Amino acid sequence: MSVFSLIIINKAGGLVYQREFQPGLRKLSTNDYLVLAGTFHGVHAITRSITPKLPLPVTAPATTPTTSTPNAVSPSATSTPAPSTVTHSFPNPGIPATGLETMETDKFRLTCFQTLTGTKFLLFTDPTMTNIDVIMKKIYELYADFVMKNPFYQLEMPVRCESFDRNLTGWLRGRA
Amino acid sequence: MSYYFTILSPTDVPLFNIAFGTSKSGGDGIARFRFPDTAQYMNQFIIHSSLDVVEEAQWMNGNMYLKHIDTYPPASAYISAFLTPSGARFLLLHQPPQLPTNNVSSATAGSGSILGSSFSGSGGSSSRASASSVAANPTSPQTEEAVRQFMTEVYENYVKTVMSPFYRQGMEIKSSVFRGKVTAAGRKWL
Amino acid sequence: MTQPARHAAMLSISNSGSNLAAAAEKQQPAQHLHTQSQSSQGLRVPSNRKTIYDRHLNRSRNAELSRASFAFLFAEMVTYAQRRVTGIQDLEKRLNEQGYPLGLRLLDLLFYRTMSSSTSSSLSSSSTSASPPNRPLRILPLLHLIHGPLWRLLFNRPADALEHSVSPETPNEYMITDNDPLVNTYISVPKEMSMLNCAAFVAGIIEGVCDGCGFEAKVTAHNQPTEMWPGRTIFLLRFGESVMEREKVLERAGVK
Repeated sequence: MSVFSLIIINKAGGLVYQREFQPGLRKLSTNDYLVLAGTFHGVHAITRSITPKLPLPVTAPATTPTTSTPNAVSPSATSTPAPSTVTHSFPNPGIPATGLETMETDKFRLTCFQTLTGTKFLLFTDPTMTNIDVIMKKIYELYADFVMKNPFYQLEMPVRCESFDRNLTGWLRGRA
Repeated sequence: MSYYFTILSPTDVPLFNIAFGTSKSGGDGIARFRFPDTAQYMNQFIIHSSLDVVEEAQWMNGNMYLKHIDTYPPASAYISAFLTPSGARFLLLHQPPQLPTNNVSSATAGSGSILGSSFSGSGGSSSRASASSVAANPTSPQTEEAVRQFMTEVYENYVKTVMSPFYRQGMEIKSSVFRGKVTAAGRKWL
Repeated sequence: MTQPARHAAMLSISNSGSNLAAAAEKQQPAQHLHTQSQSSQGLRVPSNRKTIYDRHLNRSRNAELSRASFAFLFAEMVTYAQRRVTGIQDLEKRLNEQGYPLGLRLLDLLFYRTMSSSTSSSLSSSSTSASPPNRPLRILPLLHLIHGPLWRLLFNRPADALEHSVSPETPNEYMITDNDPLVNTYISVPKEMSMLNCAAFVAGIIEGVCDGCGFEAKVTAHNQPTEMWPGRTIFLLRFGESVMEREKVLERAGVK
């Protein structure tokens, strides 16, 4: 039952924050983290555009898929335009495709949360862990408080906010 | 009773001033000073000369209302002071009407009407405020209390002025609403 | 050290115009002025006739302000103050100047609210609990006023400590401690500016209060983190020589 690490990716796919909460994880170099963030950003965009749509019997206005960012263009992304004659919808009508949300392996579970402004929070946790949405919500809240309300933080730049670190560790430790 | 009220900033800059008369015991609220031709500047001189007393009393007495602090006998002018915590001073000069025995001089002064309509009260008016009325005795406890009420009400409006984001300390108070409120307070209490 | 209080400097700028106006007024009868000022002013009154003078000052007394909106506002104030600054000291000076006028205003408001409340609870921690409240004449009542009622008005709790300098060379220095200043809650100062404390804004408020009461003082905010309180801030109040001299005179005179 533990949180392994947290990665925050800005809307352009750049790594702005990375933190490990568990000792004994394999160390990655800063460059590897940057590559990981960029790769995930691309994969996320692809998963969003290949989200299958369900045909709708009624002629409700179809939700158009969000256009993918330029660096995520892949051949598979272009193969899914919906035929204009039949209306389709995503599994949750009214909610546009968000892309990859969770990924599970036997070693960890990766949860991705994307904010309205396109910032992505990646949380690596124990696969048996439950209530990850609660943790994610709290991390988002702490981010909104201690990063976005900090007059010295420049948008889209790496997060170096000491009080964010402090409150994040404090809260996670309090949970454990 | 005639009144001259002024607000001075902590650095003695006049921020606001107004002259008015009593509205109690049949008064019509128009100032009738004893020497109307010189009242305009004499009142200011008398009020400002009491600042020394205010500044002395200010550090001995922590009250905001310092009561009657100074008298200028030649004009029988009585001065009451109120200090805001931020250092502005409210000074009220009050001058009781002359007794009916001196009516002759007051009548001539009143009919002089040198300073326009505002001071051209009829000569007999001063006898109307009889000595029995509260306001006629400038040092009675009732007068002190009435002045205190007046000062408190002006203070409330002063705080409202100060809280305005467009007001900086030391600025002249030009609001006609403020003037109206002070006039109303004068009518109510004095 | 016996420079005039900042009132004077502020006034000389803001009031040069009204001085002349006041001088001109003396030429005219006061009653005449009265009518004139009402007619010739381009003052706009709201259509519902509700000016600031018609609103009650205690209306927002128990109202609460959103912490988030304050945080965003304060963040913008810091950003604004940061424009074209020459250094950390300059930035702190600007924050201080933003707080100063606020202190002057709060002082009057605080006394008004204490006067008008029948319970007179908000000034009760100061040495003078009788109503109406007394203006502080000595340094200690002033400090109690800041530590208690002012802090409660601003932050809804008293400050955490009030100390006098132990050094005999600096008897004019007092310290007010806040373990976790509200203004700094969401602020992380970058490492290269580690000396900066944005509570300089609050220091400006304190300075305004001191100056307003006639206690010329310089107030600065300093970081004093502890293990438990990483944001602990000390407000250092340095009173001017004129204040210390008066303090001695008043002590001899037995004024409390």
